[in-house]
Amino acid sequence: MDLAMSEAETLEKTPGGPLGTGPAGKPRSLWSDAWFQLRRNPVFLVSGLLILFLVVISIWPSLIASGDPLECHLSKAQEGPEPGHPFGYDSQGCDVYTRTVYGARASITVGVCATLGAALLGSLLGGLAGFFGGWWDALLSRIADIFFGIPVILGGLVLLSVVTSTTVWPVVGFIVLLGWPQVSRIARGSVITAKQNDYVQAARALGAGNGRMLLRHVAPNAVAPVIVVATIALGTYIALEATLSFLGVGLRPPTVSWGIDIANAAQSIRNAPHMLLWPAGALSVTVLAFIMLGDAVRDALDPKLR
Amino acid sequence: MGRYVIRRLLQMIPVFIGSTFLIFVMVYALGDPVAALFGDKAPDPATAARIRHELYLDQPLWKQYLHYMGQIFRGDFGTAFNGQKVTELLAGAYPVTLRLTLVAVVIELLVGITLGVVSGLRRGRSVDTSVLVLTLIVISVPTFVSGYVLQFLFGVKWDLIRPTVSPDAPFSELILPGVVLALVSLAYVTRLTRTSIAENVRADYVRTAVAKGLPRRRIITRHLLRNSLIPVVTFIGTDIGALMGGAIVTEKIFNIHGVGYQIYQGILRNNAPTVVGFVTILVIVFLLANLLVDLLYAVLDPRIRYA
Amino acid sequence: MLLQVRDLHVEFRTHDGVAKAVNGVSYEVDAGETLAVLGESGSGKSVTAQAIMGILDVPPGRITGGEILFQGRDLLQLKEDDRRKVRGAEMAMIFQDALSSLNPVLSVGEQLGEMFVVHRGMSRKDARAKAVELMDRVRIPAAKERVGQYPHQFSGGMRQRIMIAMALALEPALIIADEPTTALDVTVQAQVMDLLAELQQEYHMGLILITHDLGVVADVADRIAVMYAGRIVETAPVHDLYKAPAHPYTRGLLDSIPRLDHKGHELYAIKGLPPNLMAIPPGCAFHPRCPRAQDVCLTDEPPLYAVAEDGARESACHFWRETLRDA
Repeated sequence: MDLAMSEAETLEKTPGGPLGTGPAGKPRSLWSDAWFQLRRNPVFLVSGLLILFLVVISIWPSLIASGDPLECHLSKAQEGPEPGHPFGYDSQGCDVYTRTVYGARASITVGVCATLGAALLGSLLGGLAGFFGGWWDALLSRIADIFFGIPVILGGLVLLSVVTSTTVWPVVGFIVLLGWPQVSRIARGSVITAKQNDYVQAARALGAGNGRMLLRHVAPNAVAPVIVVATIALGTYIALEATLSFLGVGLRPPTVSWGIDIANAAQSIRNAPHMLLWPAGALSVTVLAFIMLGDAVRDALDPKLR
Repeated sequence: MGRYVIRRLLQMIPVFIGSTFLIFVMVYALGDPVAALFGDKAPDPATAARIRHELYLDQPLWKQYLHYMGQIFRGDFGTAFNGQKVTELLAGAYPVTLRLTLVAVVIELLVGITLGVVSGLRRGRSVDTSVLVLTLIVISVPTFVSGYVLQFLFGVKWDLIRPTVSPDAPFSELILPGVVLALVSLAYVTRLTRTSIAENVRADYVRTAVAKGLPRRRIITRHLLRNSLIPVVTFIGTDIGALMGGAIVTEKIFNIHGVGYQIYQGILRNNAPTVVGFVTILVIVFLLANLLVDLLYAVLDPRIRYA
Repeated sequence: MLLQVRDLHVEFRTHDGVAKAVNGVSYEVDAGETLAVLGESGSGKSVTAQAIMGILDVPPGRITGGEILFQGRDLLQLKEDDRRKVRGAEMAMIFQDALSSLNPVLSVGEQLGEMFVVHRGMSRKDARAKAVELMDRVRIPAAKERVGQYPHQFSGGMRQRIMIAMALALEPALIIADEPTTALDVTVQAQVMDLLAELQQEYHMGLILITHDLGVVADVADRIAVMYAGRIVETAPVHDLYKAPAHPYTRGLLDSIPRLDHKGHELYAIKGLPPNLMAIPPGCAFHPRCPRAQDVCLTDEPPLYAVAEDGARESACHFWRETLRDA
């Protein structure tokens, strides 16, 4: 069965065919190949468009919501939909539709900034550890172990409960703090693999310096796995921000956050389930979009899975 | 094997010290436990200083930490600020969370592996696609959303169960909370099993098993599953710690008085001894679970030899 | 006749098209006889064997025609459960890579004993005793102590002996060995091959030996079938074929064996690549690579011409006479 498949497959691939990646997969062919794959993947197209839409409304929410998310009328509290207010009102009498639209900004900002931070810090530390090895590697691995040992939500509760800032930055900082070890493990592993490639060994034998080796030969090969973990992590970071906000230690009012709105709505779920539906739906769709994007990117960038 | 266990236990020591110290610093350095003790009233400076001294709070942090750890190894986790012994709180809360985690893990294993096997064996067919879509949706809906929705549907709208769990937290009441706690991990177990099965089903040894004339059922259970479950076991092992830590959300929703509930209350009230005590035990559970998985690994995969 | 394959056709459907892996193969094997099936990878020799064993991957594989008569029954007409009972018990297969073909997480004793548990309904204890007996048969030293060990704890040669023991377990009438020695060290190859040949004689089994290595064939095979692009291009008693091949492809294969008495000469290689099974050349599939190709080879697919009067020798070449004469 296995053999038969491979026999049939070998025959499709004439030398120099479309999938003829060069020796050791030169970065350029990997990227253009991945892009070719992505463009044809409906999952990527759907999630990409969705994310584009989310990014646009998080920058200009007024494009689709004319109201003010902080303008509330207590007299309307928990009322259902009416013309101009398609999703109804929440417990404070704020317009659920407007708040749901404005909530995208916090989620996207936290997700993107935290992912960038964790990816940069993680790949820098992990990459150096993998490249130089020795005591630096050992120390870093132990530190990463320690951060792994702390349950995320718990750490968030402890650390963020003392914060009083109403900006997104403490939450971003916290996620970076607990997120980098995951990236650093991946970066370390792929740098070690890349370092052992024959052509990298050859470059070293020819006297290439450390800096040149790292930039020209090792880094390009280690970037793809980092991008894959980072994209998948983005979705989970957004969910984490919402969870922390829900527990009361993430974002705080007056910042508009789906997590806060869900926590408020949950109090009165028996009387007014519509209040929960919209922010929860928006949050889930956003997380879904990023996880789908991560899946698509992984399929495209991880040749092993093809 | 024995030497391997000892080496792993030794390696745990720095991780244990590091993570407990980190939490200790966070709790004691960032908050003011004495102020918390007095609530809204401003404490009398002399009394505050006396309490600080009694509680060792006037010492440098590392000394406080050493003192605290010394007490813990004598079985004394200190006293919560409301006068309750932390050990009593631990004894009350841990069994509840362990039961909840157990329910969650059993659900993960039963449902996750079954779905994973079914979809992995039918890769690319409609069953597989629907399972994949379902797992994606489940992963995307955060626990606190699914928790409230399921609680509302089962507990309020259809009135099938009690929406909140009674203080004893018997197994029968923990089923829905267990499902909620398990959901996201369940989706990961399904996807992991699916990938692993789909990879292994093409393996040479499966072809051999077919050529031996074994019935399909035996091929799947005895040959395919044993090999495919190795990565799943690793995941579940590391997940046990995450589940117990993540139980905070589930316990809050269903009003379960377990570890997460106590830690949440402890943090809200700035009750430092409770928080540090619970987290210390949690870290130990987490580390032991990881060790257990490594050992289980050796049982499942004879190629791994620990030296 | 123990096994008769008649006009077998197998296709693989992939998203890029249909690969015709086997295109009308017929061969037969008698009890106690060894048939060597020779060919490059992609010639369809393994796929034919998998079709006989009933372990073809369906889909993408599909048997589109022909019959496989085993002890008088057409295996392709059997119900799946009856077919399963034939596998392992009446015909068994030995694979190339014993390390990946044995289950890494079950002890060899369990894997050997399983045959008796499933097909003979033995208790696990009796099956284990049988496993030790089998390991003794294939001359694995200290069988009793090693029966509980796992495949990775054995050397390559010993592992292949375990594969052989597994195939022999229920004393099947037919054994198919797919490149049984290719993965082994040269020194071990001969030992394993000798063991296989010896046991075959002892049990009077039919043996189909699939290989791309002409050297292995010479000592053990009775007859040879050479395959190319899913067809048989030549069949002959082994010594006749070595002496004088009747097909240019066979000729090319023989010429590409390194020989001591030709030391210093450049080694011959058949020019070109094996054909793409999704676009097999019309006429004789070998014509693009054939030094003897004429116009007729581009249009007319050669039938199997009888080379010897008794039908023991056949060649699918329009110019078999010339090929034979020049040999």
